[in-house]
Amino acid sequence: MKAVQALVLSLLQASLMAVTSASGAVPPDHARKTDDHAPPAASRAIQNTPGSGLISRLIREASEGDTIVVPSGLHREHLRIDKTIILDGGGRAIIDGGGSGDIVEITAPGVTLRGFTIRNTGIDLDAENAAVRAVAPRVVIEDNMFSDILFGIDLRESPDSVVRRNIIGGKSLDTARRGDGLRLWRCDRTVIEDNIIHDGRDAILWYSTGVVIRRNTGRDCRYGLHLMFSDDVVIDDNEFSGNSVGIYLMYSTGIEIRRNRLVRNRGPSGYGIGLKESDRFVISDNVIAANRAGLYIDGSPFTTRAPGVIRRNSIAFNDVGVMFLPSARGNELTENNFIDNIDQVRVAGRGSLEANRFWSGERGNFWTDYTGYDADHNGVGDFVHEPSTLFENLMDREPSMRLFLFSPAQQAIEFVGRAFPSICPEPKFSDEVPLMRPVAIETSAATRQASPGPLAAAAALLLAVGGGITAAARAGPSTCRRDQSAIGSSLGAIP
Amino acid sequence: MSVALTAHPRDLSIPAPPRAWRNILTIAGRELRDAVRSRWFILYTLAFAVLGLAVSFVSAAGTGGTGLSGFGRTTAGLINLVLLVVPLMALTAGASSIASERERGMLAYLFAQPVSRTEVLAGKYAGLAGALAACLMLGLGVCAAILAWKGVAARPASVLWLAALSLLLALGMLSLGMLLSVLSRRASVALGAAVFVWLALVLVSDLALMAGVVALRLRIEELFALSLMNPLQVFKMWSLHAVDATLDVLGPAGLYAADEHGPRLHLIFGVCLFAWVVIPLAAAAVLLARRSPV
Repeated sequence: MKAVQALVLSLLQASLMAVTSASGAVPPDHARKTDDHAPPAASRAIQNTPGSGLISRLIREASEGDTIVVPSGLHREHLRIDKTIILDGGGRAIIDGGGSGDIVEITAPGVTLRGFTIRNTGIDLDAENAAVRAVAPRVVIEDNMFSDILFGIDLRESPDSVVRRNIIGGKSLDTARRGDGLRLWRCDRTVIEDNIIHDGRDAILWYSTGVVIRRNTGRDCRYGLHLMFSDDVVIDDNEFSGNSVGIYLMYSTGIEIRRNRLVRNRGPSGYGIGLKESDRFVISDNVIAANRAGLYIDGSPFTTRAPGVIRRNSIAFNDVGVMFLPSARGNELTENNFIDNIDQVRVAGRGSLEANRFWSGERGNFWTDYTGYDADHNGVGDFVHEPSTLFENLMDREPSMRLFLFSPAQQAIEFVGRAFPSICPEPKFSDEVPLMRPVAIETSAATRQASPGPLAAAAALLLAVGGGITAAARAGPSTCRRDQSAIGSSLGAIP
Repeated sequence: MSVALTAHPRDLSIPAPPRAWRNILTIAGRELRDAVRSRWFILYTLAFAVLGLAVSFVSAAGTGGTGLSGFGRTTAGLINLVLLVVPLMALTAGASSIASERERGMLAYLFAQPVSRTEVLAGKYAGLAGALAACLMLGLGVCAAILAWKGVAARPASVLWLAALSLLLALGMLSLGMLLSVLSRRASVALGAAVFVWLALVLVSDLALMAGVVALRLRIEELFALSLMNPLQVFKMWSLHAVDATLDVLGPAGLYAADEHGPRLHLIFGVCLFAWVVIPLAAAAVLLARRSPV
């Protein structure tokens, strides 16, 4: 039995690796057809037996529909909730798993788990030790604090659930040994809101349709949010920072990503938003800053049913603003602010962006590297924005050339490219109606404005040093340059 | 400093170093005073500040009032400015120092005084270094003030790093300039050589390395090692590393450097840049001691 379970687990893990590796090795159609995907192995093996602890006893004594208020304090036990009850920790009850196994298992529909601190699961990745595991529908998990846990909230075939106002903090392990802070497996119509997830592996949705994800914060994880084969998902007002990837959509359709902040996601892949063979997506009003690549577009949109809509985003200070794989076609980027990305738009490898549009009607995008002007004051530049620099082209062909970024040699090469247009490469794309002013974008996630105080202090320090030296030198006794005796007399007089 | 060794080690009643130091200080003070009052100092300070202002204003406008900031045009522009202007400033200042004194017969006069030639060199170096430091701090200080005023959220630590590294680069280039100055008989020759060296460091060596990448298929570790030989590249990589803490912006070679050397990078860059301060200056001292002052 044990051997069979291990086999199933390893198979599952292998398939998970193959799909998440973004290598494109698994054709999505093939993957989509497998409707008989087995649920994660551990769901068949609910492990906790009703224990003798206080909370377990309270659950045993309760009847369906009861509300149990758990006394505050530390409870060292593992629970199984097999009745439809409301379990309320009142914000002061702590459940400690003692570093082994899962902590709370929910096997009855309609359970509410509220107001607990739940901590200290096992660290067995194969058994997927979780703080809360639910295998029943309509579960509500709210106002809990999870710390030192491998998997946080693991919902398996729990549709119509709510995960709200939890703080989920993983164990301080290598990324490879961490578990998912939040995992949904076939949980349609679930609402995930106002949670904070940090130091985990992924927050991941598998095969879950109609999920709403709003006002969550994900930081220092691998994937802030990861969608696998999950359709019609709304992702609004979240903040994902310091993850390897902010939001990664894979093989998912009908996704709306609005008003999120995606900042400093700089892991080995390092995308603000990654799109892999996804379809019918709208990405609007997001702030995407300081990532390795702001947007990464691989084979999306997957069909030609609808264009990929990327609208009104601020894409700023990324190493690459938008990175396209040559296969990407059918995207429409309008009214975005491309602000000071080192490469604003890049095609990985060689290829053209002909099948994508950077303007529509009278609205293009705002580009900080646009060099034209607007003589008729209609807010739109009078010349087409067709960026093509010789050096960028060199970098695309010879990546180690990036070493010479920001050096005068780079500018010299770009100057040569401008002076002799015949050797300049074809532009990668064109924006016929580039905007002269950035589009005002309202993200609900708060924009933190650094106070200028420290910088002003640094400026004052530098000015004081420079000014001090100058003033001291100027205040010294006046010496005429030709008055040689002046210096002679002050030198080395032997006593 | 080796200067102390040239004084009288037997004379115990009056400790030897103070006199050498005093001589150096006297010459340095005079050099600094002359430099700060000279046209080149005022011109360079103004040029540096004005260019820095332009860079700061343009990049403040570039953020488009979104309140966003990051490693973008500001830092890159300032690094670029330093890369272009500071070596030119330091090289020409160093190059004209000894050679022009020699041309005017001032060097022979100075050497006739009871001071060692090394003391003269050290004094002149210290004086010019002070003038360059003042020039850089004023220029970058003005930039930082503008950025603070325009509400650009640059990190103050980045600005201070940039100032410190620019100063170190200036010291290295000043040292090289003084070596050229000691080697040249006339000031015009020294200045010409300085401009030539500047061009070589700023443009020619990078372009040659780029050609090497394409033609010789240099491996990235070779490319990184070769780029460490150019003090300007070292300055650039070090400032990126210090300001942004990631070198992956610089592609494969940067990633290689970060993975392979990681925490040692500060040390490596420091040694490379410091070598440009010490070695040319030591060579200049040796050569000056051997050469005729006229």
